[in-house]
Amino acid sequence: MTALDVAEAALRHAAGDDAEAIVHAERSGLARFAASSIHQPTLIDDVLVQLTVLRDGRLGVATTNRIDDGSLAELARRARDVADSASPDDDLPLLAPPAELPAVDGFDEETASLDPAEQASLAARAIAATPAASAYGFFTSGEVELAIASTSGLEAVQRFTDATLLVIAAAEDASGYAERTSWRVGEIDPTAVAREAAEKAGRTRGAGELEPGRYAAVLEPYAVSDLLQYFSYDVFSGLALLEERSFFADRLGEKVFDGKISIADDSLDPQGLPKAFDFEGTPKRRVELVESGIARGVVWDRRTAARAGTESTGHALSARDRGLGPLPLALSVSAGDAESVEELAELVGDGIYITRLHYVNVVSPRDGVLTGMTRDGTFRIRDGKIGKPLVNLRFTVAVPELLADVPGLTRARLLVNQSDFYDERYPTAALVPALATAAFHVTGTGSRPGI
Amino acid sequence: MRTLCVTAVEAALAAGATYADARAVRRRTQQVATKNGRVETLNDAESEGIGVRVLVDGAWGFASDRRLEDAGAAAAARRACAFARAAGGRTARALAPLESRRGAYRTPFEQDPFDVTLSEKVDLCLRAEAALTHENVTLTKASVRALREHKLFVSSEGAEIEHERVECGGGVDAVAVANGLYQARSYPSAFGGSSAQAGWEYVERLGLEREAPRVAEQAAALLLADPCPAGLTTIVIDSEQMALQVHESVGHPTELDRVYGTEAAYAGTSFLEPADLDRLPYGSELMNVTADATTPGGLGTFAFDDEGVPASREPIVESGVLRGFLSSRETAATLGSGRGGSMRAESWNRMPLVRMTNLHLEPAEHGTLEELIADVTDGLYLEQNRSWSIDDKRLNFQFGTQIAWEIRNGRLGRMLRDATYTGVTPIFWGSLDALGGPETWVLYGLTNCGKGQPGQLAHVSHGAPAARFRDVQVGVQA
Repeated sequence: MTALDVAEAALRHAAGDDAEAIVHAERSGLARFAASSIHQPTLIDDVLVQLTVLRDGRLGVATTNRIDDGSLAELARRARDVADSASPDDDLPLLAPPAELPAVDGFDEETASLDPAEQASLAARAIAATPAASAYGFFTSGEVELAIASTSGLEAVQRFTDATLLVIAAAEDASGYAERTSWRVGEIDPTAVAREAAEKAGRTRGAGELEPGRYAAVLEPYAVSDLLQYFSYDVFSGLALLEERSFFADRLGEKVFDGKISIADDSLDPQGLPKAFDFEGTPKRRVELVESGIARGVVWDRRTAARAGTESTGHALSARDRGLGPLPLALSVSAGDAESVEELAELVGDGIYITRLHYVNVVSPRDGVLTGMTRDGTFRIRDGKIGKPLVNLRFTVAVPELLADVPGLTRARLLVNQSDFYDERYPTAALVPALATAAFHVTGTGSRPGI
Repeated sequence: MRTLCVTAVEAALAAGATYADARAVRRRTQQVATKNGRVETLNDAESEGIGVRVLVDGAWGFASDRRLEDAGAAAAARRACAFARAAGGRTARALAPLESRRGAYRTPFEQDPFDVTLSEKVDLCLRAEAALTHENVTLTKASVRALREHKLFVSSEGAEIEHERVECGGGVDAVAVANGLYQARSYPSAFGGSSAQAGWEYVERLGLEREAPRVAEQAAALLLADPCPAGLTTIVIDSEQMALQVHESVGHPTELDRVYGTEAAYAGTSFLEPADLDRLPYGSELMNVTADATTPGGLGTFAFDDEGVPASREPIVESGVLRGFLSSRETAATLGSGRGGSMRAESWNRMPLVRMTNLHLEPAEHGTLEELIADVTDGLYLEQNRSWSIDDKRLNFQFGTQIAWEIRNGRLGRMLRDATYTGVTPIFWGSLDALGGPETWVLYGLTNCGKGQPGQLAHVSHGAPAARFRDVQVGVQA
């Protein structure tokens, strides 16, 4: 049975009610390695069926991963029981109507057909390309089929693939990072990724301390992605705006960042990990979040859009996570005109260079304040050159301040994985350039590079 | 389920595995959340499947299949062996010896949380929310959760173990927003409340409705509070924040897989070395930390872990000295000490990892919170987590708390907002100069401990007393 067949079968058992069935079928493999040896290879084969029933203004959700007819009938009974337990809510939006879905890329037969031996082989190629250091990381690829059918007549189906290779090349006193993500495995060169990590690691030996303070900084795309991911949870969400948690509250239409900063959420871009619709079946739209430094918008799902008197932009999460509100899962930062990170370092003159971040968390959502550590490649910039390595740095930054003065961004952008592969596979990534900022607040020092 | 596990193990051995284990799991969860008087989340979820872990020529393999039938079990076993063969073994992997056992465990409880109807759960949340009503509180939330998990474990060494776990929990949050400030208070913990391996009686005893008015009043009062000043000072930390302090700066660094680097690609490694065992001064002499997989009500309580190792209570830090690691059979064998006992998988489709079970900071013989505060001339009292971050080796950390009070001459003074404190793990624990007694010790259960690739969330518990630390940096600002 296809995912849509299962969704329609679940829907038949909910006859008599307004209902929506989502089927999320995953087949994936992840070859995780440490100390240049694959140590945790995981294969997952699962089909999740989520049935939402709407009865008299009451909404109930039940899920199962058993897809035989009796189990789907039981699923419908449970969903009805759940709905009957809810208190009525007159403001619940109706089920999404049928809509024309955008044609998107995102499925690659070669990626979908990778077997465990090939997944292990791609990991092994990366390991082999770091002979001077030990390799830590993973190669993963997967195929997902997502189908939604509802009694409103909506039918939506998409098959998508994804592949990610992540490599930390490390020794006792050195570590460097690189990764590549794509929906086409052919775009990932394991040797190149591993060499990038190894080259970076080689420059981190003998890391020095740095006094806390405000520094100009160059952030590689990995670091930009980390920072924006956490910033986006509270700032670019319609729910956060309604609840006044967002930095954009009372600021839409105002200039909030440097004029070089434009940020969109764009699930339709074939350079990303394309998606045609969200978990309510609403077609995905490109949403301009920041245009030339001006706060332009946030993303919406049907429930928050109804509260705000606007339309869903196609950013609903699965029912389990819907309490988090809509989220932008395909961030896209416009490119600048710098030809390289070295050119950004020249713009900075004196500052620090940051490869990636670690354990970022929100300190104060309304102010956009985040804290975290740098990791696997932090360097001093002196006289416009990337120079001596630094220990990992504790930072506490207000992202709006960090983005208020941006000397430059690179022309090249990188698709950076933002999935940690918790729960069901739903790969997400941000398409971002490297970025130079005039203000990066270092508030402490921590571990040294290396294992 | 037992037959399926046996089928999987036999299929794995037939396919060339020298060791195999199989876990068949049936899991059901309920989530109920209300926000501002309306039902926000009402989900009833079930999931089942089998996970098979094998060793083939010194390489691990793991595969899972949702089908709890012979075909699914055998297919998972064969795929696990194929993946292991493709991964290739570079060295022989030794496992700490284990006397394989047959056994069963069932969570003791008074009232099955699944016998409490969803309507009753919704009503409880709505009542708790009503008690959060306050003119300056703009957002109220209440949530409860329940889980039942039936798990069968069979290994090629003869283990055959059955677990039936029941968990439940809940919490309330109040948010006040005005003049560009966003302030939240929670009970009993932030980020989803607190859970226990217990029946519905645990949720009822939390007293969400009873505590709600205080939570709301404090959220509103924070809008008028001054920001936490910066500087070096003495801090007294409540048991809830101490639980997370223990989790992040003792629990994770003592996981032996991190020490050996096998978690480097995601959560990170550890500042500890294997040779630090029985030598390293982790903190002051007052510091005693215990890993206890037998704690009543603990989310990390079981009869056997996911490798079949019996549960035990082990010292991790004694009188300030590192005495133990959290380990698997493989990492224990590599260390040449211990037997494992901390391997846990989130569910049937994830490989077991070294995880915390229940990790506790032991209290002093006696001592109230007031007594801890009474000995402070100038300092801060910090309560309940708001944000957390720690480096890849678990050295430099920074925590934020929801609320703080000035301490002046042994008494609490004005309320403060946006409090943070930061430190370096062994230095910070070295500055521990007093602990509260059993009367301040509280067991918290959290369900969001992330680790592994693909990611897994572990459910772990921590008991901690209130504690006092000298010369700590507070008030870090952006």
